[in-house]
Amino acid sequence: MSGNYRKWPMILFLGILTAPLILMYIYLFVDTITNTPPGSMIPNELTLEHWRFLTETIPGRPSIWLATWNTFVFATVTMAIVLMVSSSAGYALSRLQLPARSFFLGAIMVLHAFPTVTLLIAIFLILQMLGLYNSLAGVILVKTALELPFGIWIMKGFYDTVPWEIEMAGIQDGATRFQVWTKLVLPQVKPAILALGIFSFLSGWSEFILPLVLAPDNNVQVLSVYLAALIADDQNFDMALFKSVGVFYVVPVIVLFVFFQNRLMNIYSGGTKG
Amino acid sequence: MGNSKHLGLFLLAPAGIFVFLFFLAPVVLTGVFGFTNMSTATGITGGSYMVSESALRPLVSRYGEDELAEQLREKVYTIDEDGLVAAIEAGADATAVAELEANFLGESFGSRRALETAIKSLRARPSTTREIKAISAQFQKSVVNVRFDTKDEMLAAIANFGIGLNEDQKQRLIEVAYTGWVFTTQNFKTMIELPDTQKTLINTLFYVFTTLILFNTGFALVLSISTHYMPTRPAGFFRSIWLLPRVTPPVLYVLMWKWLAWDSGFLSVVLEPLGFAPRNWLLDSPANAWTFIILINGIVGASMGMLIFSSAIKAIPPSLFHASEVDGANRRQQIWHIILPQLRWPILFITIYQTLSLLTSFEYILLATDGGPGGATEVWALSTYLKALQNYGGALQYGYGAALSLVLVVIGISVSLIYLKLFDFKNLTAPPKIE
Repeated sequence: MSGNYRKWPMILFLGILTAPLILMYIYLFVDTITNTPPGSMIPNELTLEHWRFLTETIPGRPSIWLATWNTFVFATVTMAIVLMVSSSAGYALSRLQLPARSFFLGAIMVLHAFPTVTLLIAIFLILQMLGLYNSLAGVILVKTALELPFGIWIMKGFYDTVPWEIEMAGIQDGATRFQVWTKLVLPQVKPAILALGIFSFLSGWSEFILPLVLAPDNNVQVLSVYLAALIADDQNFDMALFKSVGVFYVVPVIVLFVFFQNRLMNIYSGGTKG
Repeated sequence: MGNSKHLGLFLLAPAGIFVFLFFLAPVVLTGVFGFTNMSTATGITGGSYMVSESALRPLVSRYGEDELAEQLREKVYTIDEDGLVAAIEAGADATAVAELEANFLGESFGSRRALETAIKSLRARPSTTREIKAISAQFQKSVVNVRFDTKDEMLAAIANFGIGLNEDQKQRLIEVAYTGWVFTTQNFKTMIELPDTQKTLINTLFYVFTTLILFNTGFALVLSISTHYMPTRPAGFFRSIWLLPRVTPPVLYVLMWKWLAWDSGFLSVVLEPLGFAPRNWLLDSPANAWTFIILINGIVGASMGMLIFSSAIKAIPPSLFHASEVDGANRRQQIWHIILPQLRWPILFITIYQTLSLLTSFEYILLATDGGPGGATEVWALSTYLKALQNYGGALQYGYGAALSLVLVVIGISVSLIYLKLFDFKNLTAPPKIE
């Protein structure tokens, strides 16, 4: 922005720092469709053999399509519940006269900052006691709960920016608060709902620890656990296969990131992980 | 607007249920479980009663009940229906078994020798000692290693056995024979006594502060300030690239680092001509393992600081920069006198927020080194996970793991409250304008 300084030293400096990262991502894609002779980093042939896992189930693992379906269900259902619960709770906290309103707000803010992963052992035991261990339903409920403080916080922030005049006008015209919310205010926060939706979908799609601990079985396995188990198996080490499964896994993430980058930038600065 | 209060509670209720079930209950239960010896051995619901060797040992060591323990260990030989059936199944001669039933059914023998003498007295007595032993083995009775659902069943069985217990002995036996979990403060004593705890603590402090200073704030400042001095396009490009690690699913992100580090991976291939033997750089030494752990976590962490600092720099009035340039300030002076003072609050925010995340998150370490080599990169949060949820060696120690995470929960709650105090809570709770 400041025109008087030379820009290229900054670009060069950051370019050098960024090069290794770019290299890692380039090799991630290149290695899935090529073979490289040992002791070299330059591929010498094109191949599709690393993508065999799409048609042949790897022995001892669930089918990749089952894992993909599980991941999709996990991410979508989590997103849907997070959106419903946070858009209603966010509105209540932003606009309605509640008993102990500031207590609720404080609680949400504390929960937002609170590191939920420390509760993992207790949550694991609770799911065991409820009989929801090793089920998608259980891990969806937990993931939703952990996303909620962030979701409510973001939604409350967006509701706060909606002009009061819109609501006042609705009330003047005889609408109830509930109608004002659904008919007038919700359409105003569509961008927020979209952003939060994408964010929770991605967060569910990427989640690893919760399914690993709460639903590790083959028939409910999600892609992150599938890939981690593949990598952890010392008997069958095949980096190109791991990378291909990884690329398969990351495609939806990349698509959403490319299309909604700016919205995500906004919401990531709300921050959820270290 | 009398219904707005009810509407509010109605709209909040679902969130309340989630928060109760998966935040409040787990926080309280972490506290409760931390004071139990719950593990896969005790089960998580109630337990049963069993006089096992591990139950008899404390009976002697804690209460000095040597005699009682001996009595309980003793085996008795009783001729009963089950034993007779088992003897036939074991291949004993049917006539001998029938005779045994006719003469001795219901009788008990204090030792195996006495029973075998009785067997020898039979008219259809087996010809070899081996056969006699095969029969006598079927009648052995003992309370040791028998599982009883209630303490009364256990006491009744012991009484049947002919062992008289006084009230004290009953209580002691019930205590040692119970296989379920009990309340105890042992976890916290163990935590203080184990040398591992101290090492984990030092690892944790080293990890959190090094990553925080070098990357989450340090490198984040480098990224946001250097992109500030760039035209919009390259700045946006660099920010997107550095945001990628945060968007990439952790399992895949760590896989890329493994590719960089493994023994025929990028580093090994590139460094081999320079005289470094190929090796798994991620796990070959604690120093290298730490370098990778800090890079892996730091690069993800830096992106959050980058976004927050960048938007804070954007909020600085451009006139300040122009004025300082007119006055002849160089870039370093601008950074030092204009940018950094503006970033004081964002830096504090990031520091508190990231301290807490670094302290408690272990996902990347679990995936990258799993605490290795030899526990060198085991931090507190990872250790709670390993103890309670992934113990290859033995039982999963839920109680001990919960005690370890209770420490983090307490730190977490305290820091969150500080965070609440610091970041203008009043503004956020301005009362609604329609009532």
